[in-house]
Amino acid sequence: MFELGKKDGAEAGNENSRQASDQRSDTRHQSPSAPASPASQGVAAIGRSIRINGDLEGEEDLRIDGEVNGTVRLKKNAVIIGSDGKIRADVYAKSVTVEGTVEGDLFGAEQVSIRRSATVKGNITAPRVSLEDGAHFKGSIEMDPEAVKAALGDAAIASGPKKQAQPAAKPTPIAASKVNGDASRAEEPVHAAKG
Amino acid sequence: MIGSLARSFAREEPAAPEPFNAPLFRSLIERIPEDERWVVLDLGAVCPTVISLFGGHRCRLDIADVGQGLDTLKEPMEPADLRKAAESLLPELHAEAADLVLCWDTLNYLNRDALTALMTRIEDRCRPGTLVHALICYSHPQMPVEPGHYVPQDDGSLVNVTNCTEQRDAPRYSPEDLTLSMPGYTIDRAMLLGNGMQEFLFRL
Repeated sequence: MFELGKKDGAEAGNENSRQASDQRSDTRHQSPSAPASPASQGVAAIGRSIRINGDLEGEEDLRIDGEVNGTVRLKKNAVIIGSDGKIRADVYAKSVTVEGTVEGDLFGAEQVSIRRSATVKGNITAPRVSLEDGAHFKGSIEMDPEAVKAALGDAAIASGPKKQAQPAAKPTPIAASKVNGDASRAEEPVHAAKG
Repeated sequence: MIGSLARSFAREEPAAPEPFNAPLFRSLIERIPEDERWVVLDLGAVCPTVISLFGGHRCRLDIADVGQGLDTLKEPMEPADLRKAAESLLPELHAEAADLVLCWDTLNYLNRDALTALMTRIEDRCRPGTLVHALICYSHPQMPVEPGHYVPQDDGSLVNVTNCTEQRDAPRYSPEDLTLSMPGYTIDRAMLLGNGMQEFLFRL
């Protein structure tokens, strides 16, 4: 009825899994004897022992396995926060993948992916959000294309869900009569609890 | 012998949790308009299926995950401190109020004072007409020691996937108890479910 497995978020999750799988395959192909470093894959990296206080900006993909306190702005690129990464920062990127710990807001022009090992405390704004079972998250997830567009600009909508944009009007509450009508067909309502 | 082996096997591999019908939850989800913006406050832990469910709508989903902090509300404390503790469990106040609050079975894990404190703080995040869905234990004197993790199914039913076997006493709040402890809320609908729960839809 709800087609839960067919929503954009789930599709994005599957897509991400495939991408991750492809990346792992590529890595094995490039270096069969040892895992390729992020640098060899064309990805800038902040190693486990590195701690940065301040703002990061650039135009290449970035993997963070160390600590960053401040702001990360890579609006045209991917940011991966590795399982050892600890971020206390707002992150603006084309795509954000979290395997480690984040305290801050995540803005993904295309998508934000939260892996099962991740702990995130903050807000997520992205047209596509995927989250794996086991991940810890506390905060808001903004998935309304209009609100995402307002926060991230047109780049977000270009890759977002193909939905007709509507003016962001405040909805009226669900009519009680409608709720009552449908629910009462399924089971008999009661107005007092037992025990 | 075979029977004994079968019983042993059954002990090692507990049956998968059964879905249960939750008509009020289903009717709520069916009526979320696709072309209107909605703000949903979820008191439970983050669930990929819930994200997927609301990801098809124009939604902001606020995940409060209050389960880990409920113990802090059990301690005896002054009302002002209790309000502060309840506030600390919730997401920061947004300018935009929630249209729907999903409590799942969280309210069973609060004593009356904590229930009043938490629901008053939630009221601050809502507007007149906001709907609040909750599952309350009514028939079983015992319940799991931790709140459940409910996963919506394609047909609108729910599955509690929590593997918690330890039990504690259930408060078995009656509608009158809830009305007294949640003075800003009125009961819109209440339905007895087959799994020992009573499903409530409150309205602010």
